[in-house]
Amino acid sequence: MSAIADLDDRCPAATDGEIAVINLESARRRAWERFRGNPSIAGVAEAVVDLERLATQFLGDLDALDRLEAFAAQFACLDDSFRVPLVQAEVASAVHRFADARDHLARAAEMGGPRDAIERHTLAIDQACGVNLGAVLAARRRLAMVDGRLEDLIPLGALLADLERVAEADAVYGQAFYSYDGISPFPLAWVCFQLGMLWGELAPEPDPNQAALWYQRAIAYLPAYVKARVHLAEIYAVQQRLGDAEALLRPALSSGDPEADWRLADVLIAQGRFQEAEGQLDAARRGFNNLLGRHRLAFADHAAEFYAGSGGDCRRALELARANVANRPTRRAINQAEAIAGRCR
Amino acid sequence: MSDHVDGPRSIGDPAADISDLFAFTSPENSARTVLAVCAFPSAGEDAMFSNVVDYAIAVRRVTVAGVGDAARFQPADDEIRFSFRFQALQRDAAGKVHQRGVGTLPGGRQLRLTVNDEHGASTADGDFRVYAGLRSDPFYLAWIASSLEKVPNLLQHDNVLCIVVEFDTRRVLDPEKGSLFGVIAETVPVPQPPGRIGHPPVRIDWIGRPEQTNVRLNNPGLSGVDDIRDLWNQQTPFAISTVLQPLFLQRLKDSFTDWDLRDGKADWTPEALAANANVFLDDFMLFDVAKPITDESYLEIEKSTIDGHPYRTGGGRTIDANVIDILFTWLVNHDREFLQGGATGATKPGLTRFPYLATPNSELQTVTHAVVLDADPGEVWSAIGSFDLSWHPRVARVRLTGTGLGQLRTMETIDGRTIVERLEAIDDQKRSMRYTSIAGMAASHYTGTLDVKPKGRGSVAEWRVQYLANGQPDIAVKTIVSALQKTGLDSLTARFGVPA
Repeated sequence: MSAIADLDDRCPAATDGEIAVINLESARRRAWERFRGNPSIAGVAEAVVDLERLATQFLGDLDALDRLEAFAAQFACLDDSFRVPLVQAEVASAVHRFADARDHLARAAEMGGPRDAIERHTLAIDQACGVNLGAVLAARRRLAMVDGRLEDLIPLGALLADLERVAEADAVYGQAFYSYDGISPFPLAWVCFQLGMLWGELAPEPDPNQAALWYQRAIAYLPAYVKARVHLAEIYAVQQRLGDAEALLRPALSSGDPEADWRLADVLIAQGRFQEAEGQLDAARRGFNNLLGRHRLAFADHAAEFYAGSGGDCRRALELARANVANRPTRRAINQAEAIAGRCR
Repeated sequence: MSDHVDGPRSIGDPAADISDLFAFTSPENSARTVLAVCAFPSAGEDAMFSNVVDYAIAVRRVTVAGVGDAARFQPADDEIRFSFRFQALQRDAAGKVHQRGVGTLPGGRQLRLTVNDEHGASTADGDFRVYAGLRSDPFYLAWIASSLEKVPNLLQHDNVLCIVVEFDTRRVLDPEKGSLFGVIAETVPVPQPPGRIGHPPVRIDWIGRPEQTNVRLNNPGLSGVDDIRDLWNQQTPFAISTVLQPLFLQRLKDSFTDWDLRDGKADWTPEALAANANVFLDDFMLFDVAKPITDESYLEIEKSTIDGHPYRTGGGRTIDANVIDILFTWLVNHDREFLQGGATGATKPGLTRFPYLATPNSELQTVTHAVVLDADPGEVWSAIGSFDLSWHPRVARVRLTGTGLGQLRTMETIDGRTIVERLEAIDDQKRSMRYTSIAGMAASHYTGTLDVKPKGRGSVAEWRVQYLANGQPDIAVKTIVSALQKTGLDSLTARFGVPA
C-alpha cells in the first residue's frame, strides 16, 4: 500500500497541487508588488495577508508569520484608514495574539470599519478562544445557511468538532467538500485535513483508518501540505508503518516546520536509528526555540507537546501549556495542560 | 486592468484568471486570422496552466441589428469553438518540468501541444497553428483609473500565459456568409462526475471586450457599490441572464455617466449613454475579416455604429493596440481629444511572426553601485569581507547556517524583509565574494558580487547584482536591490571617508 492514495471518483477535481503551489507563489509575490506600488488601493493589503496565510497554512512556511508582522507595521505607516487595524487584527490572530486582535478590531469599529467584517473576525476569535460558544454556534449556523460557502461551512464544522458533535461536524464538512464548485486544491485539502483531525483526534472514539483516508486525500490534493503529512505520519507510526511515516516526513523537512523534525525523530527512534534521531531532535529543539522566541503564543500548544514528549523538558512543557490556556482557554487547551501536568508530576 | 485580476474567485486560482483577448489578421499571411487569449496576470517564469480548466475561445457570426441610439449587434446561435486542456506537470530524465496539452479545434480535430514550444503545433493540412505558453504581457495600463492620473506602465516587465490560434480565415470562418464576428474567451472547470451534493461546474472567468469588468462594471469612480465582477464572470457569454441584465445594464449606465463627467464636461446625451450601455452589455469583441484590422481600429465598429455611421475598419484588437486609451477617450470625451496615458506601448511590442506575442521578459537585470574610499583595500575588505553582512546598516539581524562555501545567511532587514543568500565563492586574496539568493527576493538567477580593488592611494568597493524578476515588475526588485547597495556602500563612505 502506498503512503499517499490517489483521489477517488467522488472527490471533486482541482488543479494539480504542484501547479497550484507554483502559482500561489506567483500570486503572493504579485500581491506584494501591488501593495508596494499603491498600498492605498482597497484589497491590495488584504490580499497580501490572505496569500501569506495560505503559505503558512498549507506550505508550512512559518517565515510568512514574520513577513506578516513586518507587513502590518509597514502598512500602519502608509495608511490611516480602518483598513490598518483590520489588517493588524488579521495578523495578530495569525500569531494567536487574540487580545491584541480584539483591541485592533475595537479600533477598526471606532474608525467606521465594516461591521460585517468586524463581527466575522470577532466570531473567529471567540471560537479560537473557546468563549461564548453558544452564541458562536448560532452565528456560525446562520452564516452557513446564507449561501453554504465552504469558508463558512468549515468553521462551523470545526466548532461542532470541538463540541464533540461528531456526526454533525462530519455532515457539515461533507457538505463543504462535495458542494465546492471552484478549482483550487487549497480549500479541498483544508476540508480533508479537518476531517482527518475530526476522526483522528477530536472524536471521542477515534477512527484512525478514516482519519488516514482524509489525510491521504488532503495530501493527494496538495502534496506540499506539511501539516497533513505530519498528522498522517503520526497515524502510520502508531500502526507501525514506519517506512511510510518516514517517506511522508522527509519531503516536509525543507519547510522548516520543527514538528516534521520532531515526528521524524520519533519514527527513527522507533526504528532504532538513534543517532539520526538525535540530529532531528536537535533540529526540532532549535526550530521550536526559534519560533517561540518570535511567536510564543502561536506555537505554545505544539511546543508544549514536543517538550512533554521527545523534547524532554517537562517544566517548559507545562509552562507553555499554561500560557496557551491563559491565551485561549479551550477544552483542548485545558485537557492538554492537565495531561502534561499529570505526565510531569 | 483589461481583464486582469477581476474577481475573488479568479484570484483564488490565477491560472484561470483571463487577462486579455485579441483578434487580428496574421501579419505573416493576410489570408489567416489570429485569436489569442492570455491568463494569469504577473505570472512567474514557472507558471503553468491549470490542468482542470477548459481554456476556450468561441466565435459567432454577428449582424448589425440597429444603429445610432438603437445600436445593437446580434450574434448567431452557431459557434466556432477552440478549446484547450492541459495536463499535470511531467518531468523528463533530467528532472526538467514540462506541461503538455490538447487543443480541440472546430470540427472536433485534436492537436497536441507542448507548453512553451516556441514553434507551436500545426495540423497536417496547415489550416491551424497553435502556441501555448509564457509571453510578455502585451497589455499596458498607465493610468490610475480612479483619478485619471498618468503613471508609467503598471505592467512593465510582467508576463502572462497565452494561447495563440492562427487559422485559414476562408476555410474556418467562411466569410462569404457574413464577415463580421464576435469573439469571447472563457475558462470553465472541466466537467466532473456528479458528487453526492454536487453543483454543476461554474465558469471561472470570461472576456469579450477588454475592461468590461475592471473599468466598465467596477468603475473605481463609483463609490459604495457592490463588486459584481464575479457575478458577471459566471454569466454565459452570448447569453447573459435575462434576470440579471437590468442589474448589469444599470451599472453600465451609472458607470458611463461617471466616466463622461471625469473631465468635468458632459460629452454624451443620456440616449447615447444608454446606447453605449446596451452595446457593451452584449460583451463580445467585434472583428470583421473583410476590412483592415490595425493598431487603431479597436472599438471602431461599435463607435461608428453608435454614432450612426457604417463602420470602416475590421475592429478587432491587435497585440499593440492601445485599448485602454482608446476606451477612456471614447467614454470620457466621445473622441473629442485623445487621452494618452503615461506609456505608449507595452514592455515589448508584438512580433510580426508567429506566435506574435513577444517573448517572456527574461533578460538578466543588473544593478551596480560603487564607491571610492580613502582606505587601503585590505582595511576595507577586513570590514566587509565577512559573509555575515553585519556591517550593513539596513540589516537588523543575521543568522548563519553552515560554514565555508554553501554557507547560508538569513538576514532580517530593518524594514522587516527576510532574505536568505548562499555563499558561492570567496577569495580573500582578490578581495571578492559571490553569492546567490535562496529566498526573500522576487527574482530568480539572482547573483551578487562584492569586491574591493585598489584605486590610487585608496580603494573602490563595487557591489553588483544580476537577476531575473520573477512575479514582480523589474522596477520593484531593482528599487529594493538598489536601496540595499546604496545604503551599504554609503555607510562605508561615512566610515572610511572619500579621498581628497
